[in-house]
This record gives sequence, structure tokens and C-alpha cells, in this order.
Amino acid sequence: MSGRLAVQDLTVSFDSGGYVIKPLDGVSFVAEDGELVVMLGPSGCGKTTLLSCLAGLLSPTSGQIDLGDVRVTDLRGGSLASYRRETVGVVFQAFNLIASLTARGNVTVPMRLFGVPRSRAKARAGELLERVGLSERANHRPAQMSGGQQQRVAIARALVHDPPLILADEPTAHLDHIQVEGVLRLLRELAAPGRIVIVSTHDDRVTQLADRVIELAPSLPDSNADREPEKVTLAAGEILFRQGQRGDLIYYVESGFLEVYGERTDGKREVLSEVGPGNYVGELGPILNLPRSASVRAIEDTAVVGYTVRAFRKEHPHQLVEQQAYR
Amino acid sequence: MLAVTFADLLFRARQFAIAIVGVGLVLALALALSGLADGFRAETNATVNGFGASSWVMSDSAHGSIIAFGAFPAADVSEVARQAGVHRASQVLVAPGQAVLVTGAAGPHWVTLVGVQPGGLGDPAVALGHRLEGPDQVVVDSMLQASPGGMLYLGGLGYRVVGIVEGRTLTGGTPLVYLPLGSVQRAVTGGKPLVTAVATSGTPTHVPPGLVVLTPAAVVTDTVGEFGGAVSSIEGTRMLMWIVAAAIVAFTLYVAALDRRRDFAVLKALGASSAALFMSLAIEAVVVTLLAAILAEVLASLLKPIFSQVVDITPDARLVLPLVAVAVGVVACLAALHRVTGADPAAAFG
Repeated sequence: MSGRLAVQDLTVSFDSGGYVIKPLDGVSFVAEDGELVVMLGPSGCGKTTLLSCLAGLLSPTSGQIDLGDVRVTDLRGGSLASYRRETVGVVFQAFNLIASLTARGNVTVPMRLFGVPRSRAKARAGELLERVGLSERANHRPAQMSGGQQQRVAIARALVHDPPLILADEPTAHLDHIQVEGVLRLLRELAAPGRIVIVSTHDDRVTQLADRVIELAPSLPDSNADREPEKVTLAAGEILFRQGQRGDLIYYVESGFLEVYGERTDGKREVLSEVGPGNYVGELGPILNLPRSASVRAIEDTAVVGYTVRAFRKEHPHQLVEQQAYR
Repeated sequence: MLAVTFADLLFRARQFAIAIVGVGLVLALALALSGLADGFRAETNATVNGFGASSWVMSDSAHGSIIAFGAFPAADVSEVARQAGVHRASQVLVAPGQAVLVTGAAGPHWVTLVGVQPGGLGDPAVALGHRLEGPDQVVVDSMLQASPGGMLYLGGLGYRVVGIVEGRTLTGGTPLVYLPLGSVQRAVTGGKPLVTAVATSGTPTHVPPGLVVLTPAAVVTDTVGEFGGAVSSIEGTRMLMWIVAAAIVAFTLYVAALDRRRDFAVLKALGASSAALFMSLAIEAVVVTLLAAILAEVLASLLKPIFSQVVDITPDARLVLPLVAVAVGVVACLAALHRVTGADPAAAFG
């Protein structure tokens, strides 16, 4: 199983305290054989969720994943288990080595779980540790190794079945710059015909090495830009924005009333507040580059003005601070 | 998974060693309690069978208990010895709960007096000294810590200790003092010719009304039955010990499983099944409890001397201990089961 990786309209949603959370919402991308793909985005943007789906550890709510001619999202039971074991190698965040096992033991485990005879597994582990430059540390436990060495053991472990897809979750997160260089060089070398390497990171410096970059939290129009305010007129019941959407504007109410409400998984609405003239809504999303945490609609005919964060600060210099402090 | 299991056992050796010592102590106490419970039967068995009788004639008011003091006139059974099939018949008077003073001892000892006919059934074979030969002589159990030649005082009268017997106790370690029948009658019945049993070699075919013929096994069972409440309490305490042992193992494993949550997620992500992970925990539990059982066997032998009554740890109890320990281990690891089955392989990413 090798070739092109195609992810189409992938959505993962789950219920969190009665509200629908969508860490992934309609993600699509393609990675060609031999590519090093970097998935870029801040914490909470769904990188790990996407990796879990690619690894066959999490079933998406909708959408599909194809690797070569295999539809991964259709795999179940034994075929999914063998996909996990044979097709995907995972380098987990924070290494996730088994603390009680030596470097060799950690690399041997997935082979032994797969029924590879002990002697063959040990020999293969020796080869892989040599490949990542750690043959001399084979009998050391994780606690006796540096972060970079542990990460290289994790990479060796991911390679035991010579998988066509390598997933690395924040592989440089716990490393100093010298260790980062060694690990990235290794990942770059692994991306060769017959194998795709996908690296998730929030460190945009890694993109320099990538054949392809996927941004999971696309940048919004610059919220600090001085754009002209947008006047919006809403009829009673009309929705200003929905929970989960991204947006770059803060809305100031000139007349009428807005209702702020949460959309629950059971379809019910939970009214959170009402906002009248002289007040504003929707400031946190643009400030923190997060999806809207609630929906807003007009209770009656309402006129609002949408500002970028910078424009809002300029136009209402004290109000944002005061209302934030109040909230 | 075996390699992972044993590596984890070594990795957490200190944690498991503490559990092994804790569980070992508890199991040793459980084993000793088992010995205590069995001790009632063992001492009664040794004492009753030490008479060498094949049948016992007793008052039916004694309900088969040798220590019930169901006395009856010796004349009532004088013809028992002459019955066909009865080769020997010896009168016995057992009087429990008597205080005696022994030379060199600080205070009185509570003993069970056994009046026997010298040369008859029940005249005890001594380990030290010689048998009863005269009315002012006694043979005592070694627990009384008397020496041949010493004096024993009963009801103001002095008796010379002439012999020592081993393992002759009743009622949970109360030592026996053997005297000639007449001496006991003098001390207990005011000299009236009363007996509490006739031990016979051969089985009498008929006995006077109010008397019954019992086998030694029945006498043992009925005598031990008097301590049913005590034995039941000891058994209950022993069960509590097992529960405590299981709780210690369960707690240790639960903590280990909490520590290993990330490991479980990673192993699942690498292809390990929940069953394999549970088996790994079960093996750890069984290893811990088996090692604790071995420690308990040793500790229980060391604990025996601190009990003043008979502690009879039978080979069966020693054999059952590791088997129960394995069961305890498996049950204990159920406490951590949901930590294994609930481990989400996707959590390995987190």
C-alpha cells in the first residue's frame, strides 16, 4: 500500500458538554508519494485530530481518506488493525517511549506484537537504531537519553514495518535547536519514493523543509488592518454569525437587540445574553484567531457595525477593555 | 507482551516489593489464623486419639464432648468391660478449667485434669520421665513448662511431676494434667466414684440408659463443635485478611495502571489488544501474589511460636495458599481493568 494520500472534506465533530465541537471541519488536501508534508497551525486547530484519523485511530464524522487505492475510512476490524500496524508509523508528541524498556526494547515491541520472532525483531531493531545513529544507546532506557535521542528512538520504532506513511506529531516540540536539526534531517531523508512523511507542527520554521504545507487554521484577513467598518442590517431572526465559524470582525450594536446563544447537540438553543445599543459582540474570535464560541441573531430589526480589532480599538478605545474586564 | 510485562515489573520493582512485603505479611497472618482454626481440631484429635480407644462410652448429656463434664457413676459401666467384643475398658474423668500451681511459676495455670487408670487406656506415653505409678504423681503437657521431679499443687495437695507429654492440650492450648483416676475424683468430685467416659478397645454392644457409644472421630467432632463460635470468628478474620491482601494488590496494580495509562495508549496504537494488556496486568498481579505467598509461608512458620495455642498449618493450607493467591491476584487486577479497556490509542498523540 503506497502512493498518493488524498484527504477529502474530512470532518470530526463531537459532543462536549452538550455543544458540538468540530476540531476538523471539511479539511481536504493531497500529498504525493515521496513528499514531506507539514501541517501547520496553532494548538487546538485539529492537527492531532487529523493525525489520529490518518493513523486509523479515530473515525471521522464524515469525509474520506485514501492512501493509494485503499479507502482508509472504510477499513474496519482486522483490516483497520493491520493498516495501523503495517501501513502507518507514528512518531508521537513527547516521544511516548515505554519507560521500562530500553531503546532496543521500544523498537522491538511493535514487531513482537505483530508476531515477528524475537531474534529477527532484535536484529531489525539493531538495524534501525544504527540508521538513526543510536546503536551505542541500544541498551539505555529513555530516562538515560536526551530528548533528541528519544525522538530518534521513536522514529526508529515508527519504521519497524517500513511503512509507506509516517506521521510525526510535533516532533521538535521538546528539543533544543541542535536536536531539532538532527530530527528534521532524519524526517527529510525518510520522505522518499515509496513513503509520505506528514509532520504536524506549530513551528513555521519547519515549513522550509516541506514539499507541501497545509495550514489547518488559515489566516483570517489581518484583524489588525485598518479596514473600513462594515455596516450590517439584520431583520428580526436573522443570524449575524454561527457558532464554530471563523470571523475577523467585532460587531458594535447601533440599534436593536442581538441574542447570543449556544447551539446544543440536541438541537436546542441556550440563550447566553442579549446585547443592545452601545454594546458589542464577537471580540474573542478575532483577537485569539479562534472559531466563534456562540451564535448571534437579531431579536428585532437591528443595525450593527463590524470593525477589525485594530479599528475597534481606535473607534472605542475604552470600551473593549472595560467590557472584557467585566466579562 | 511478556517482555513488556517483566520489564515493567523490574522497572517498578520497589513499588511491587512493598506490595509483596505487605501482602506477604497479611497472607502470613491469614495462614497463621488458618492454623489456629485447624489447631482446635488438631489438639483434640491428638488428645482423643492419644487414648488409643476404639470407642467411647459417655453420658448423652455431654453431647459427645470430652470436656462437657457429663459425669456418671463408674458402677454403671462396670459390666461394659465384660461384654463380648470389648477387650479393654478404662474409666476416665476429664475436668476442664482447673487451677494448679507449678514449682517455680509466678501464678496459677489453668489446666484440664484427666484422671486415668495407670496402665489402662489413656495412661499417656511420656516424652520425658516415666508413666504414672502412684496416687501422688502427675504427668503434664510440656506447655506447662514443668520438669520431672518438680511439684504441682491442686486444691492444696501436692503432686510430683513424673513425666512430660507433648501435644496434649484441649480448648485452644490449655495443657492437660494426667493423674490417677482416684486423685482427680478426690480433687473434683469429693472422692465420689464418678467418671465422664469409659474408653474401650472394641465396641460395646449395649450400654445402660442415659449413656451412648461414640467413635473417637465423633468425640473429636463434638468436642471441637464447642468452639464453633471461636473457629467461625477466626475464619471470618481470615477472610478479612484475604480481602485486605486483595485490596493491597488491587491498589498497587491500580496505581501502576494509572502510571501506565500513556503506555497502554501507545501499546494499543502500536497494535496491542486490550486482552493482551489485561493479561500483562494479570501476570504482574499473579507474580506479586505468588511471591507474597512464598514470603507468607516463611513468615507464618516464624509467627507460630508467638501464639500460645496450637497453630496447625496443614500441608493442605500451604498448598491452597498459592492457589488462592493467584485467584486474589486475578480478582485484584480487575480493579484496573477499565484502565486497560478504556485506554484510547488516540490518546498516545496527546
